[in-house]
Amino acid sequence: MKNAIRELRAARGWSQAHLAGLLDVSRQTVIAIETGRYDPSLPLAFSLARLFEQPIETIFFPDQETA
Amino acid sequence: MHEQRVARAYRAELFMAIAVYVVLLLASIGYGRPLPDGALRTAVLLAPMIGFGLMIRAIARHVRRIDEYQRLRLLEGLALAFAITGAVTFSYGFLETAGYPKLSMFTVWMVMGASWGAVCIARALQARRTVEP
Repeated sequence: MKNAIRELRAARGWSQAHLAGLLDVSRQTVIAIETGRYDPSLPLAFSLARLFEQPIETIFFPDQETA
Repeated sequence: MHEQRVARAYRAELFMAIAVYVVLLLASIGYGRPLPDGALRTAVLLAPMIGFGLMIRAIARHVRRIDEYQRLRLLEGLALAFAITGAVTFSYGFLETAGYPKLSMFTVWMVMGASWGAVCIARALQARRTVEP
């Protein structure tokens, strides 16, 4: 699943470490999510949505829309 | 920061468990070995395992503290180490049939630790390539 976390983070001028601190997760976790290597759980996805003040579907989107 | 807080708590609990293990090990060697055979000697010689129990507790608490992605990575690392340990110990079992010297079961633990270490190092090197400066 793709996501816009890197762009949203960059727009706020936050480092990966800062975002990790706000989410109370490791920096490796933020890196893995940003690079699409890991899809977060729903609770973590909701935390991201709250943090960026955007609905989940504007942050995460599937690689390819299914029919 | 999450990682530092988690690592600090883990280190403190693990070092405490290792310290208990070492103290009890030295005590069991000093006092347990000269004892006559019997229940007391068995109990004294097994006493260091209390430290081992504390290590298990430290690890269980650490797994609860780390985040979901780290937990997944940990599971993947352990699964790989488990498979590597199985392959190495089975191979050596066949070699023993071929005449190689019999090794203590303690060796299995060392192989497991080494396999896990190798997997962690390989993963860390892989992750380093994607880290922002």
